[in-house]
Amino acid sequence: MPFGRGERTDMVLVIAEQRDGVLNNASWEALVAAQQMGGPVRVAVAGADLGAVGTELAAADVESVLTVDHPDLAAYTPDGFVAAFAAVVADAAPDLVFLAHTYQTREFAPRLAARLGRPFIADCVGVGSRNDRPAFVRPMFQGKFVADVAPTGPAPHFVSFQIGAFRPDALKRGAAPAPVAAFPVTIEPGTIRQEVEAPFQEAKQAVDLTQAERIVAVGRGIKGQEHLKIVESLAAALGAEVAASRPICDSGWLPMDRQIGSSGQTVAPKLYLALGISGAIQHLVGMKGSRTIVAVNKDAEAPIFEVADYGIVGDLFDVVPAIIAALDA
Amino acid sequence: MERETLEVDVLVVGGGPAGLSAAIRLARLQQQEGGDPLAVAVLEKSRQSGSHMLSGAVLDPSGLDALLPDWKERGAPVETPVRDDRIYYLTAKSRFRAPITPPPLRNHGNYVISLNRFVRWLAEQAEAEGVDVFTGFAGTEVLYEGDRVVGVRTGDRGLDKEGRPKGAFEPGVDIRAAVTIFADGVRGNLTKSLVRRHGLDAAAPQTYAIGIKELWQIPPEREAPGTVVHTLGYPLRHEEFGGGFIYVLPEGRVAIGLVVGLDYRDPRFDPHMAFQRFKQHPLVAGLLAGGEMTRYGAKALPEGGWYAIPRCHLDGALIVGDAAGFLNSMRLKGIHLAMHSGIHAADAAFAAVRAGDVSAAQLVRYRELINHGGIRRELYPVRNVHQAFGAGLAAGTAVAGLAWLTNGRWPARPLSSEPGHERLASLAGYYPGGPADPDTPSNAVKVDRALTFDKLTNVHYSGTRHDEDQPVHLLVRDTDICRTRCREEYGNPCVRFCPANVYEMVDDGTGNGRRLQINASNCVHCKTCDIMDPYQIIDWVPPEGGGGPEYEGM
Amino acid sequence: MKIAVCVKQVVTREWPLRVDEARTWVQDRDASFEMNEPDAYALEEALRLKEQHGGEVVVCSAGPARAAQVVREALARGADRAIRVEGDGLAAADASMVAEALAGAVRDERFDLVLTGLQSDDQGFAQTGVVLAELLGIPHATIIMEVQVAEGRLRVKRELEGGWFQWVSMPTPALLTIQSGINQLRYATLKGIMAAKRKEVRVVEAAADLAPRQEILEIRVPEKTKQTRMIDGSPADAAAELVKALREEARVI
Repeated sequence: MPFGRGERTDMVLVIAEQRDGVLNNASWEALVAAQQMGGPVRVAVAGADLGAVGTELAAADVESVLTVDHPDLAAYTPDGFVAAFAAVVADAAPDLVFLAHTYQTREFAPRLAARLGRPFIADCVGVGSRNDRPAFVRPMFQGKFVADVAPTGPAPHFVSFQIGAFRPDALKRGAAPAPVAAFPVTIEPGTIRQEVEAPFQEAKQAVDLTQAERIVAVGRGIKGQEHLKIVESLAAALGAEVAASRPICDSGWLPMDRQIGSSGQTVAPKLYLALGISGAIQHLVGMKGSRTIVAVNKDAEAPIFEVADYGIVGDLFDVVPAIIAALDA
Repeated sequence: MERETLEVDVLVVGGGPAGLSAAIRLARLQQQEGGDPLAVAVLEKSRQSGSHMLSGAVLDPSGLDALLPDWKERGAPVETPVRDDRIYYLTAKSRFRAPITPPPLRNHGNYVISLNRFVRWLAEQAEAEGVDVFTGFAGTEVLYEGDRVVGVRTGDRGLDKEGRPKGAFEPGVDIRAAVTIFADGVRGNLTKSLVRRHGLDAAAPQTYAIGIKELWQIPPEREAPGTVVHTLGYPLRHEEFGGGFIYVLPEGRVAIGLVVGLDYRDPRFDPHMAFQRFKQHPLVAGLLAGGEMTRYGAKALPEGGWYAIPRCHLDGALIVGDAAGFLNSMRLKGIHLAMHSGIHAADAAFAAVRAGDVSAAQLVRYRELINHGGIRRELYPVRNVHQAFGAGLAAGTAVAGLAWLTNGRWPARPLSSEPGHERLASLAGYYPGGPADPDTPSNAVKVDRALTFDKLTNVHYSGTRHDEDQPVHLLVRDTDICRTRCREEYGNPCVRFCPANVYEMVDDGTGNGRRLQINASNCVHCKTCDIMDPYQIIDWVPPEGGGGPEYEGM
Repeated sequence: MKIAVCVKQVVTREWPLRVDEARTWVQDRDASFEMNEPDAYALEEALRLKEQHGGEVVVCSAGPARAAQVVREALARGADRAIRVEGDGLAAADASMVAEALAGAVRDERFDLVLTGLQSDDQGFAQTGVVLAELLGIPHATIIMEVQVAEGRLRVKRELEGGWFQWVSMPTPALLTIQSGINQLRYATLKGIMAAKRKEVRVVEAAADLAPRQEILEIRVPEKTKQTRMIDGSPADAAAELVKALREEARVI
């Protein structure tokens, strides 16, 4: 819903994120959030050699694209990005600054907002208003609650959005490419105190289910460890991690780092498939923040169905092979 | 392995009302009498003081008056005087109010409190007096020199499921003391070992009950704070001893509970289900309508009375509070007796330490103080009451009434009694025609998750938490019995008497049998399994220090 | 090395919380509290760095009086002394207020290294440490999984998304926010608990002019906006319908 102050609607500056000329997909989601505010949208991106990235962003229905091109910004550093975007925000004077809540945003955006003496409402999942005040919806207490949070004091107000909170395919594209302008920045020597080395990938010692996009979780309905194979096949077909409710890990059928719930992990993936899980409150508190929940259970009255978006009453030994087959079809 | 050691003058094992009263009294005696400094330490297995404390609770302030006469100035969380005292006899649909409240149950001058807050405050008082209160440490072993108790070893921390040391492994600590005061609560694991090793058995076996409690939030205008209601009858049958309670706290908080004697006969009886039925009674359901359950907990209590109290003094050691069984089941009160016993133990221990003689012959002074003080005065007259209740409600009421009328002169001798678990009947004995379904409680109700709850949901509201990767702390000596004999004879009553869903009989994977699964991390430390198991093959031992329920406001 | 560790007292993770009557915070009067988990890892990291490089570990906390509990716990685990900023308004304060309160109390100490947890279990801003670095004017890095110290410089391993990591170097003084699991937490020992009683705790009143930059208008239990759609039919039909819905409606596969 569009809202603004007085006659005009708010102008939103989106800070997009790129690495080596590749845009972070989540940046499109932040753009969608900005477009849905109903006012003018500008987008800024920092780095070096941003020509292609600027053109890519210009396809969106935005007022303009600002590229902040500087050799010292080729590699991300918090000091460099805070300095650069402080200048951009001061110049563009937006009402709101939107970012995707990436690890990079978490690192520099709080400092950027603090440098300008402005609020930063992080990790939001939606936009709303209350008594004509713009408010942003964000989880609290590890997803047990959500809160409507309003910025106070003068603009600009910084807001970051949880990945997946907006759908990138809802992006409005412009009739013609938006104008791309280079924003010149000077970065004084000594500004950047961090020296960064090249990123590297490491085999994780433990699975981090909190980062998984899809999770196939299994409960008592699986009956025996030997039946875990069909669950693993389904997870493979979906590109999902396997997780479990407590009795499965208690029995030693899966390691404890796969356990979801109050004594295990709290997760909020895009897709959570609960197979043969009754839905004890101890399990629900660990997963009910998931975006889409599917429950398969023999017992039509199992509490898991109360939190599910899709439910199938049936024996998982019948339903799971059928889902695998349907995915192949 | 390097084991930390600590030397103190008096070690108190268990930071409940009895243990903390002993510690506070010792510190104050030292201040009054002067002389050498006195090192007093309290070990408590809960993560924070008071977290494992659960009671109704209505407090008789006599123990507090004796310990800290200026408790009001010290800000004790004892603020809600009992203002209305009612007793009902319930049938499934109706209630009958007792025209008068029998004197033993009169609560004028008493207070409705949260025991865990009260104990947290007591711990603060102890620390202010210079006592070291170590929370998160459980005593797991008594240390001896010959037959003299010289302290306690605490549990190892940082062991995995198989008992292997993890990265942060910290071996248990040996705490050595001239006198060790055991205040490890009802069915305390260390007191249990002392009683066995030293043959401290009492004239009668201890009998127990389980108390199951919820805290509710209701509209504050519905019932006045300080209202105290006790019920008899439904949901219990004549063969089951016990009753319900409703204690109203300020700001719309209400404590609802049911106490059930752990000497019931029906092997399919489920105390937690009985509690659900209690809430469904119009008297309770009406009070709770539209309210919200906010906390849950369960704990056993000793009900054997005077004759079930073991010898409580031995070389280098004393036993106090619920661990010894100082509870007046006729008044449904034990906190004040626990505190009085702690005070007496402190007096005896102080004299012994100062005399340089901590032998049983010196520490017998503790027994003398009990015999000449309020504890005996209160417990002796009602010494036969619970044993009498064992015979059924009508007979029990008659005996209780007679005991009160005759000031305990009748009946004059202990009635015959047996440990409660021995009264549990076999399936065949209780259901001569064969039970319809041994796995379904005989008093099953369908829970609605608004007024009534399943055990697992309830456990969530106890705040219970244990490190998951640690050895199981419920030692079942022979799990074969569970799937063979017990399944046949009693239908695995542990599944029903445990109020926290710790015990489950699950499919063993072969398709034709069951095996015992122990969900140890659900355990609320109530001790019921250790008490009620018909084969007495379950040993409750403390899990890693800090684990257990997180009671707050209970 | 003189190290500050900032710890926050939060409601115990397992606690079944309820919203307060004003619907702007939770009823925490009845709650049980503990040290915020990532902060416990930050404390452990500080203790290990001190064991390797010498120096001092000072635990700092901003909160209401009850936060003394976590300060004492930190001292029992081995911190040398404590600075506690006390203010009732800090219980539900935003990150900038907490950072301001901490900055005021630690600025003059000139710490070589300031550690905080990555984020708190309650409001979960993941900002307090970063804002504090800005207020102290020192460089920072976040989500740290390993800390190396050599010749007045730090080399730290920073976690990126999707199993990627990066080494980052910077001069001291600096601030790092520590990820849970960076190390293995130690237990408090009896001797540590006894020693904690004698350690210095400096209690500072929170400045009166701390102003929030954001305001909670309402807090509530997340509502389920969608109805549960039960899919009937044979397993094959139901599975086909489900896969179609996940692809076309929910768009999650």
